[in-house]
Amino acid sequence: MGRTAAEWNAPPKFPATHYVDSRLYTDEAIFGEEKEKLFRPSWIIACHESELPEAFDYRLFTHPAGVPLIVVRGDDARVRAFYNICPHRGNTILYDPSGNAKRMTCIFHQWSYDTRGNCVDITREEQGYQNRFSKKDVGLREVKCEVAYGGFVWVNLLDDCVPLREFIGGALDILEPYMQEPMELFHFHKARVRTNFKLWHDTNSEFYHDYMHYFNRITGMLQPGYFERKYTPFPNGHATVGSMQIQYDKYEGSKERAVGWPKMARGGWYMVDLFPGMTYNLRTSVMRIDTSIPLGPNEVLIEFRGLGLKRDTPEERAQRVFDHNTIWGPFGRNLHEDLLGVTGQGRAMRKGTDSRWVLQGREENSTIHDEVGMRHYYAEWSQRMGRPAYAPY
Amino acid sequence: MIKSEQRQAIEELVYRSCLALDSGDYKAFLDLCDEAFRYTITTHSAEIKRDMVWLDHDRKGMETLFTNLPHHNSDHSPLTRHATVYTVDLEGQEASVVSALQVFRTQLDGGATELFAVGRFHDTVKLDGGTAKLVKRVVRLDTRQLGYGYHIPF
Repeated sequence: MGRTAAEWNAPPKFPATHYVDSRLYTDEAIFGEEKEKLFRPSWIIACHESELPEAFDYRLFTHPAGVPLIVVRGDDARVRAFYNICPHRGNTILYDPSGNAKRMTCIFHQWSYDTRGNCVDITREEQGYQNRFSKKDVGLREVKCEVAYGGFVWVNLLDDCVPLREFIGGALDILEPYMQEPMELFHFHKARVRTNFKLWHDTNSEFYHDYMHYFNRITGMLQPGYFERKYTPFPNGHATVGSMQIQYDKYEGSKERAVGWPKMARGGWYMVDLFPGMTYNLRTSVMRIDTSIPLGPNEVLIEFRGLGLKRDTPEERAQRVFDHNTIWGPFGRNLHEDLLGVTGQGRAMRKGTDSRWVLQGREENSTIHDEVGMRHYYAEWSQRMGRPAYAPY
Repeated sequence: MIKSEQRQAIEELVYRSCLALDSGDYKAFLDLCDEAFRYTITTHSAEIKRDMVWLDHDRKGMETLFTNLPHHNSDHSPLTRHATVYTVDLEGQEASVVSALQVFRTQLDGGATELFAVGRFHDTVKLDGGTAKLVKRVVRLDTRQLGYGYHIPF
């Protein structure tokens, strides 16, 4: 039986921690606050070290808080990160998304910087500034940068941020045994979708939506061990999901993965969701990393990375690429379904649609269809935003 | 030197392959393909400076992909593939064919059409008498942002 407006608007019959107000996904003011309170103080994955193999290799990254960054490997092999903003007249310094730049020179007035952030050339410096101002006054704005947890390049915009290890809070310990060998990126693509960034993270934080994925139903949900997978919450809003043995051969045209991952049991699959919008997803033969860059309350750019091992033979790499593409490529079976799903949420929750609540009420002893992963995320959201997610106004 | 009827047969093969996929007639598409058919989608990432493979199937793999489609949740917006055959280089009975490709997507609700992707077909075509068959198709995409993606290859 349908519900009246009053019934539709009434709070759900759950504890208040088990639902959120839909306006969290549409409100411009909340979105602006999220960029400052959730993303700016957080450590964020900018890229992988294998994207910068040589000295002077650089990679551009737009931080989710909105800041354009250059990530660059110096002549000392150290990876550093700087604002991609010329201190002179605020121009973009590097335009191409990647490259090799011994000197990073602004095209506007040819001010030039080295990979340690020093300004090394101001054109006609003496004539213009005499002794009032010099190169030492205009180094690039450097941000905290660390290579860690599988060779990923982490950045933090705050000078006084918490250490990366404290931010992760043990959430990646579950993957440590599988990240001992150097990895290498073989896949990168961006997907711009009309949905809120949290809805993408929600999708990565709950497996109840496996009902949407034929592939996962056949190879996972119908197989032994699926309902024993458990969520473990960690400090700072992170959560992990334990493994099982995926039966890939149950999907027509698929077969047991020929290539595995060092130390991981056959068919294994671990996930780690990191607040406020990153996911490690190690599924049998491939590591996938999602990084969400919110563009607006109802728009997000997601960077997808696929990685194998640096020591892969060509045959092993080809198999990993094939495995990746089968489910996670832009033409893969699962990624399209996931992105379609959150796009549908974005459509239904646009401002003015009268969407009211999002339920997170499933309790199954923290096992795979429990919605504890999302609840844990929104507890952190509430703490950082200084208001409960179920009543944000 | 390629004969005009050979060129015509090759062009028609390329165009029929688009029409078959546009209409969701996968049997008709596979009928245009040789038993040794291989289909690949590739692209080059300017971000990571690498060539990437986004899909790679032999004929059996393509058949399975099509067969499994009804099990999956997919965007049902139809695609319109627009190809223009640029070059045909014939060597013996095998031709290397390069075609420009634009793919448009039309929303079911309201019928708005948007450009979805651009790229090129790099086809290998076998000529057998008057019949042309696709032996290999490499779709080299220039477009790398495909939004929520798509389940059916280009």
